[in-house]
Amino acid sequence: MIYFIIRRLIMTVFLLLLVSLITFAIFFLVPRLAGQTTYQLAAQYVGRNPIPSEIKAVEVKLGLNAPLYLQYGRYIKGIVAGIHYNNGPDVSYCPFPCFGYSFRNQQPVWPQLISDAPVTLSIAAGAAVLWLIGGVSIGVLSALRRGSFFDRLSMGVALAGVSLPVFFTGLIALELFSYKWPIFPNVHYVGITTDPLLWARNLVLPWITLAFLYAALYARLTRAGMLETMGEDYIRTARAKGLAERKVVVKHGLRAALTPIVTIFGLDLGLLLGGAILTETTFSFPGLGQFTILAIQNQDLPEIMGVVMIASFFVVIANMIVDILYAVVDPRVRF
Amino acid sequence: MKRRSIIAATAVGAISALLISACSSSSSSSGSSTTPTTGAVAFNAGISNVVNPSSTKGGTLTFDVRGTPDSFDPGNTYYAWVLDFDHLFTMPLFGYKSCPGSCGEQLVPDLATSMGTTSDNGLTYTVNIQPDVKFENGTVVTSQDVKYAIERTYDRSVMANGPTYYQALLTDPTYPGPYKDRSKNLMGLTAIDTPNATTLVFHLQSAFPDLPYVLAFPNTAPVLPSADTGSNYQLHPLSTGPYMFKSYALNKQLVMVDNPNWNPATDPNAKQLATQIIVNMNVNQADIDNNLIAGNADIDAYGAGVGPAAQARILGSSSLKADADNPINGFGRFVYINTKVAPLTNLHCREAVEFAANKTTMQTAWGGPVAGGEIASTIDPPNIVGYKSFDYYNALSQPAGDITAAKQQLALCGQPNGFTTNMAYRSDNPQETAEATALQASLGAVGIKLTLKGFPSGPYYTNFAGDPAYVHAHDIGLAGGGWGADWPDGYGFLDELLNGNAIAATGNTNISEINDPVINNLFAQSSKVSGATRTAIWSQIDEAAMKDAVILPAVYQKVLLYRNPAVTNVYVQSYYGMYNYAVMGVSS
Amino acid sequence: MAVPIDVATGPGGPEPDVPLSVPGKAIEGRSLWQIAWMRLRRDKVAMGGGVVVVFLILVAIVGPHFVQNPDTYHSNLINPTFLRPNGAFGGISLAHPLGVEPETGRDLLARIVVGAQYSLLIAFLSTVLAVALGTFFGIIAGFVGGWVDSLIARSMDVFLAFPLLVFALALAGVIPSSAFGLSGNSLRIAVLIFVIGFFNWPYMGRIIRGQTLSLREREFVDAARSLGARTPYILFRELLPNLVAPILVYATLLIPTNILFEAALDYLGVGLYVPTPTWGQMLSSAVTNGYYYIDPEYMLVPGLTIFITVLAFNLFGDGLRDALDPRTR
Repeated sequence: MIYFIIRRLIMTVFLLLLVSLITFAIFFLVPRLAGQTTYQLAAQYVGRNPIPSEIKAVEVKLGLNAPLYLQYGRYIKGIVAGIHYNNGPDVSYCPFPCFGYSFRNQQPVWPQLISDAPVTLSIAAGAAVLWLIGGVSIGVLSALRRGSFFDRLSMGVALAGVSLPVFFTGLIALELFSYKWPIFPNVHYVGITTDPLLWARNLVLPWITLAFLYAALYARLTRAGMLETMGEDYIRTARAKGLAERKVVVKHGLRAALTPIVTIFGLDLGLLLGGAILTETTFSFPGLGQFTILAIQNQDLPEIMGVVMIASFFVVIANMIVDILYAVVDPRVRF
Repeated sequence: MKRRSIIAATAVGAISALLISACSSSSSSSGSSTTPTTGAVAFNAGISNVVNPSSTKGGTLTFDVRGTPDSFDPGNTYYAWVLDFDHLFTMPLFGYKSCPGSCGEQLVPDLATSMGTTSDNGLTYTVNIQPDVKFENGTVVTSQDVKYAIERTYDRSVMANGPTYYQALLTDPTYPGPYKDRSKNLMGLTAIDTPNATTLVFHLQSAFPDLPYVLAFPNTAPVLPSADTGSNYQLHPLSTGPYMFKSYALNKQLVMVDNPNWNPATDPNAKQLATQIIVNMNVNQADIDNNLIAGNADIDAYGAGVGPAAQARILGSSSLKADADNPINGFGRFVYINTKVAPLTNLHCREAVEFAANKTTMQTAWGGPVAGGEIASTIDPPNIVGYKSFDYYNALSQPAGDITAAKQQLALCGQPNGFTTNMAYRSDNPQETAEATALQASLGAVGIKLTLKGFPSGPYYTNFAGDPAYVHAHDIGLAGGGWGADWPDGYGFLDELLNGNAIAATGNTNISEINDPVINNLFAQSSKVSGATRTAIWSQIDEAAMKDAVILPAVYQKVLLYRNPAVTNVYVQSYYGMYNYAVMGVSS
Repeated sequence: MAVPIDVATGPGGPEPDVPLSVPGKAIEGRSLWQIAWMRLRRDKVAMGGGVVVVFLILVAIVGPHFVQNPDTYHSNLINPTFLRPNGAFGGISLAHPLGVEPETGRDLLARIVVGAQYSLLIAFLSTVLAVALGTFFGIIAGFVGGWVDSLIARSMDVFLAFPLLVFALALAGVIPSSAFGLSGNSLRIAVLIFVIGFFNWPYMGRIIRGQTLSLREREFVDAARSLGARTPYILFRELLPNLVAPILVYATLLIPTNILFEAALDYLGVGLYVPTPTWGQMLSSAVTNGYYYIDPEYMLVPGLTIFITVLAFNLFGDGLRDALDPRTR
């Protein structure tokens, strides 16, 4: 198990480097290939009425004139060891991990990422827990009550959930449950350390919105898997042995059906951030999603790079955890 | 399995029915506007009166704002709402008198003791500052702090955003800024002398009567050199105003508290009423509107008015309407017509565009007559000193466009079946996007085919519409634009738009690239005369430019602002076109 | 969206549950496809979805010729103060069966139909790209094994590590308005197809790789090899036909995902340029401008259209999968 984790960690680092390389290449190379000069790039960050010497000064300050591999090297060095930055009256030091400085407001990117990440994590993790528990239990119940009204209704609602855009659902939820009937008035983000109860209460609508989308899929998946395993012979044997029904269902049936669920969960983590972005935009939560959109509007390359890197990091780590869970759930999997 | 779709359909049907009943606004007719009296709460009361006057202290004032400020560093900002907001924690040399209506157009001394004196044929300007103003940490403000504040704006690689008048007006244009020039104890700018702790002497390249207006920007608010942290100063600028920064989560939330070292006797244009001020940034407009109406937030700091949905709600409900104001915000919205891009090089083709445009749909794009503004026929908006009304292209008499005249002009310019060209606009500005779309539709009716090219607003002026090389290379004949005067006279509004000398290789605002010696001459003359002669020049320039069809005016912009009934001392400050944030308080 | 990975394929599936003999007729064996088609035909819901899908495709292809110009303004139908359409339900009338847009008065039916063209085009082409890449690399990885498999599997991991929406957003935002010989909307469409398709290929790739891994142990592969067939032949003439079933199923299920993805990109502002109508952009305008409050029809029309389209594809894809693998009934 330990070797597995170590191997995976090494792979993670390698993977992240690869991701950073590809991302850097795309964002810094594509505009060049399309004909944009560094002069034009620097001009974006100099405000109104710039004179050529100012633009050149910005080019130098942001290091835009160095060849791409040098810029990349500087970027990686910053992440690993920290770099110095010309701040105005003095030179400031940006400690590890330094994801560079925003082109636009000259502030280090990492602290902004760190302060935004908990918001996105709150939405994503909460929704994930909700949809796993909700989706799986509804799937189990549907499988057990196959053909009943509950089964039909839940599968129907599940299908609706999968077919609606998340910003549409979110908006309707906000409109109905926050403005029309003030069950959740004034939905805005409150830190978990500030007020845990309010944190949870304000997150209920975003959680349900995001979870609705995925719970559908997991309910259907669980239902399909359960139907398959519950028809197996060993279930019949277990029942014949006199085991309590609940034990039969959970310990034997569900356990086997969980394997594809865990697999899909791993695949879905990469999409989870996308769903969180849409949810954040709909509910005005100050998380990585809003940060990304602003960064893109401002063409702020270090911020865009930073958010892609941190998102990839989470996806890769989460996949590693999922793989470990995989081994726990399915005893056939060996390292 | 077979019942699935029916269930799903019923669910959707139920949701839609719910929605339609939930969202249909009540169709109550708007109440008639009553004559506003001081203090009374009524529609448009805040334009000429103080609504809810009070000197009660206490409470928390909450601002919501869309997007983020360009910077809270007073030397590095140009956004209209930030210029207004800065008065909560800065005292520039001059400011606009805090009062509603035309009273608020007066320039008065703020940190300065008087309006200053010119000498030496206008080449020298002397001003004194109050001797007992303190920073939030108790240090007394000296004239060197004001000089330093101006000096730091010269280094554009650190302070990229603010206005750039000093380099053009003062005598030492190549000064690199105090971060690079550490000589003379950081007082290296030779254009400003500080003979003693309360006096500043400015040396100009040539006479400039509007200099006090330039000094009304927050970049003259004093900055203590030892506290200057360059790009980080925006996180906690040292306050000289009624409030000071308590905590600032960059681009997310600012919390301010009372500044104990602020002396109200030195700053009659601001008040210290609330005990805490909170600014929530990056809130989307629909949420801001809902928060305002629900009472969760007090004021929308951005000052561009509510969104279309809230507009309908407010105007349709007499109680909500009484809490709203509909001022002119001083911005003119228009479309530049480039004189260097064929076939618009020909005057008649440009006139065809002026005649054919459907001004009504463009007005609707900006928000209709209430929240968008009045249809414009001149470049200068009515609140600018020197405005004169005229209408060369029947914008007011035939707002849906004069197709006949347009076709005549097309024939005259040799393009009887129309022509094709491109139009630039800012794609993240929904109103400008709607305006471009409306113009495309209306010009299409006479055969002028527009291809719309959207650009993000950040680099719009630096890399795209404001880069003449790019414009020529990509055949951009029309470009969306707008202008709010840096100060409310004709110079502040027209110079950057129409002066041939203002054409720049990047960051160009004379996008029409008009370079008419007659107009350039008029601008040069304006520095030499004053009074009524000077005022008359502005309308001459306006008429000449409109005869040349270099700009297609759209609206004199109005905004629909909403004030929370709990806020005290609310009124529209004429120069900003939005509420005066420095005098507000909150009643519980 | 990911999809479950177990679908039985290949010859020798479970017994067909149809009567085998009709007196007087010779007994014919039924191919997998015929069996699947008969099952599909009996699933009314899936057939309903299929009919809607076909209808939508027809509308997208032919529809734009029959509706009015989606870009024409009708400002006489709009109340200038409130900016909303006169008349109930968003201005429904004989001339405008679905009503008009607030502020501009453009016909909603026309915009929905022209929007169908763009939305379906982008969704289809990006799906084709994802399927082509995924199948190609998946088959090679699954069959050849060894270091080739490792390499391809690891690159799939790399792509799965990219936060999809963030990346698509950033990329679409960074590419300038004219590049690589294209400009304007054509460039945007190409970028969207590329981004959506290119970053979706690992999902198909993993599925196909899994299927190939299990198929390559079967006897018919050995038989072909013993007859002297070379690898490319086996890959594309023996394996591929057996993979058509899962490919078809997951392609059908990938299309609605891509429709939603494209709508999301429109919502976030990196979709096609105005005044091009797309469903996502109409929904986005209704949502961000708050029009939903004064004219809910403006939000419901594109919202329901997206919903019905995606639902139809999902139902059809589900039915197809059920028809090809009866164990999940």
